[in-house]
Amino acid sequence: MGCDRYPWWVRLLAPILLLVLALFAAVSLDSPLPPADLVLIERSDCYTLDPQRMSYQHELRRARVIYETLVNLRASDCAIVEGVAKRWEISADLRTYTFHLRSDARWSNGDPVTSADFAYAWRRAILPDTAADYSALYFAISGARAFYNNRTVALAAYAKSPETYHGDARELWRVTEADFAKNVAIETPDPNTLVVHLDAPLAYFLDLCAFPCFAPVHPATVEQFVSFDNTSGRLIQRHDWTKPGRIVTNGAYVPTVWRYKRDMRLEANPYYWDPSRVIAKSVECRTIENPNTGVLSFQSGGGDWLTDLGPEYKTEMLAERKAYLARFSAEINAGLAHGAVADDIVGGLPVPAPGERRDVRGFDAFGTDFFSFNCRTALTGGNANPFHDARVRRAFALTVNKQELIDRVTRLGERVASTLVPPGSIPDYPLVEGIGFDPVRARAELKAAGYDDRDGDGIVENTAGEKFPTVDILYSTASPRYQNLALAMRDMWKRELRVAAECRGKDSKLYKEDLKKGNFMIARGGWYGDYGDPTTWLDLQRAGNGNNDRGYENPEFETRMDAAAAEHDPKTRLAMLAEVEKWLFTEEIPLMPLCNYVTVYMYDPSRLGGIAEHPRLEQDISVLGRRAGVHDGVRGGVRDGDQRNNISPKSTTEPAVR
Amino acid sequence: MSASSSESSSSVASLIGRRLLQLPFIVLAVYTLTFVLAWSVPGNPLENTEGRRPPAEIVEAMKKQYKLDDPVAFYFDYLGKASGVSWALGNHDRPFDLGPSLKQPDWSVNEIIATGLPVSMTLGLTAMVIAVAIGIVAGTIGGLRPGSPLDAFTQLLAIAGISLPSFVIGSALLMLFAVKLGMFPVGGWGGLQYVLLPAFTLSLPFAAYISRLIRFGMIEEMGADHIRTARAKGLPRWKVAFKHALKNAFLPVLSYLGPATAVALTGSFVVEKVFAVPGIGQNFVDGVLGKDITLVMGVVLVYSTMMVVFNLAVDVLYRFIDPRIA
Repeated sequence: MGCDRYPWWVRLLAPILLLVLALFAAVSLDSPLPPADLVLIERSDCYTLDPQRMSYQHELRRARVIYETLVNLRASDCAIVEGVAKRWEISADLRTYTFHLRSDARWSNGDPVTSADFAYAWRRAILPDTAADYSALYFAISGARAFYNNRTVALAAYAKSPETYHGDARELWRVTEADFAKNVAIETPDPNTLVVHLDAPLAYFLDLCAFPCFAPVHPATVEQFVSFDNTSGRLIQRHDWTKPGRIVTNGAYVPTVWRYKRDMRLEANPYYWDPSRVIAKSVECRTIENPNTGVLSFQSGGGDWLTDLGPEYKTEMLAERKAYLARFSAEINAGLAHGAVADDIVGGLPVPAPGERRDVRGFDAFGTDFFSFNCRTALTGGNANPFHDARVRRAFALTVNKQELIDRVTRLGERVASTLVPPGSIPDYPLVEGIGFDPVRARAELKAAGYDDRDGDGIVENTAGEKFPTVDILYSTASPRYQNLALAMRDMWKRELRVAAECRGKDSKLYKEDLKKGNFMIARGGWYGDYGDPTTWLDLQRAGNGNNDRGYENPEFETRMDAAAAEHDPKTRLAMLAEVEKWLFTEEIPLMPLCNYVTVYMYDPSRLGGIAEHPRLEQDISVLGRRAGVHDGVRGGVRDGDQRNNISPKSTTEPAVR
Repeated sequence: MSASSSESSSSVASLIGRRLLQLPFIVLAVYTLTFVLAWSVPGNPLENTEGRRPPAEIVEAMKKQYKLDDPVAFYFDYLGKASGVSWALGNHDRPFDLGPSLKQPDWSVNEIIATGLPVSMTLGLTAMVIAVAIGIVAGTIGGLRPGSPLDAFTQLLAIAGISLPSFVIGSALLMLFAVKLGMFPVGGWGGLQYVLLPAFTLSLPFAAYISRLIRFGMIEEMGADHIRTARAKGLPRWKVAFKHALKNAFLPVLSYLGPATAVALTGSFVVEKVFAVPGIGQNFVDGVLGKDITLVMGVVLVYSTMMVVFNLAVDVLYRFIDPRIA
């Protein structure tokens, strides 16, 4: 070969040098973005920016500032306030909502936001072709469920014999479009008016209207990527319109950069009608999946707010915060008594000493951790299920010392829960108490159900002398939390109730399959509320609900829920629901609530302001901002010198904030 | 000379031709195997991990949309679109369409690979360059003075490099250089300062292995007859080592580089996780865990094609460096 005249090492080095040069060029082209006014560190990237297809909390949080719904949920107190709609009227029968859209609502390209944009987005959400997680939330609107079912049936028929429509999916689509216009009660009499009729009064319909899945999309942009599949008859909606440069939004921000699993940049929307609300003009959302790296990045000044602290750190860091707050409890309690916000007080205190910190905070989330009882008459093997008997379920729930589990197992200082709805999260909903820890009563309940240790072998038997079957406790191995909880509870049940029990850990996918099939006696569960109404929790027990893993079915429950739904007076309705919840968690116990989840954020209150404390824990990114005097550069965990000499004697009172 | 050179170039051409003919069959076998494995993983990729399940009718609609209700239809549909056959037959609007990601509906698998692969390649190739540099230096030092304290030291480092897992080394480097010394940013991508730490971490096991290969080769070569002859002629030791011994000692490294580069490019997910590098590796792992079947299939197709091409490239390079091998 002609290259023989070069020494071997030149022949080897030449390609390597070229490679290094190419790498260097590739790397230097890929430069970081200029610093943003606010930097978030998130554990995962958004799966989609299509509001109708979202379902994860961190996506919904971003959607709330990218899109604006008819009404907004104010993060600080979760009140419904004006959004795209300036005002609205509700008919006397509570079934018709008329929204008057503000004339200055604009898309980020300057187009006005019209009622037709909402109707278009809502139609997408209901269409089975979109495959949206939250389609069912729209079924309260008259005709929506029928429209969904008609389209599903029509698609199946089309797939079987496309020739009915001459093999043209558009022909079927025209039928569907006409069906929607005629039968679904969403009306757009003019561009600034949207009228919606409901099948029945729905007390939380406005709350749904503030849910990001009810946000409008810009039809002209979305339509560019819609096509028809002539073999199945389906509408194919490609998501390319969500990419920066194409995406048109009507919220406080527009995404200008989105690099997959790397970062997303939001810039203030120049056409947003309420620019004074938007504090940070640019927001960078970094994705760091590894919890360890996320914390290190936050501590070395890589972000203002770490939205989800990894489980490894929580206990230790929260203890450090507790030590800090304890030192200043007098100042904190005095400030709170004057009505100040906890973050403002804590942010104004002297910097933490070594072994203390204030840049971490745990909040009670709008979520409840629980263990489900299998309420079906028989187990998957066909054997009789002792947990079908509410007395047995009560006995097991009464045996669990939840406070001890929180102090010794979960160790995050969670709030003990005896019911599903987190206290204080829904305005006007009364505080409901379920049954607590009472092992004496537990044994009595089990005895009443016919189980007693008749032969003295240490295991209870029923009246026929058959041993109580070995209790099968199912948990997911995704987090050690559930294994530890299951083991601790197993011991409590063995000790107090004299039953045999075994824990069964499964990978989260297999665990889910078993849950769905009802292959368990007791199983780990949990739920986060979707909207501000008790039904987002209580509906879990409804027969036929897709998330009723317990197989709980009780006609009395259904009747009482229906009665509450038919009640027109909101206060009375909530009182009725509270009665149902009380009955559920003192008598029926389809599941045993354990505690409310704790969400742990990392942010330094002396540097970042605007984090909301409301129990629904909805955060509004557009109201977050660095406090005056805080600039780019080193922030966060960098301690401002040794403060050992400043330590004041420990106050005797506990601070009234976590 | 001219005869031999045309002979060697024609043999290179036939080698390339043969391998390229094998390529589709290898990739098809890998595709089928991956498909069977991925399909048999339990769970539903469209299901949310937070325990929320949409109504059954909606789940059905979602499954239909992505042909997840029919493995045979999915297998052939995906194969047709990914290979470009559907496009060639006029049934699809673009070739090599690896489908939408089931978990990330906004991103097609093509886009995910297009954003992640260059990052992983930059990281992997930088790591290989570092590995070769460290490996040659350390291996030559040790190989020229076997048994010396310097040799023992480099050997010790090599053992450590091979046996310490990269998440340990990576975390330690991150703590030291990024957090304590502030010399590098913690996690992320964009600019040379983001590449060095992860690339160095990734390079260590490869560097260690290369240094051992070189050391062994050097010890053997330095005792060979032609080296003794060269030394007898009065050539200085370093010149002999560099001009004659290293060349032959390097050949085993070259054959190791092909598969090693493929491993560095595809197997860097641990390093990507530790350093929050937005590469393809962690997407692949997330895809497997979440049963994102289109993403898994797409990445496997691209990886297996790359594997074949890399091994081919090394074979070609081998002939280029040492024309005697044909």
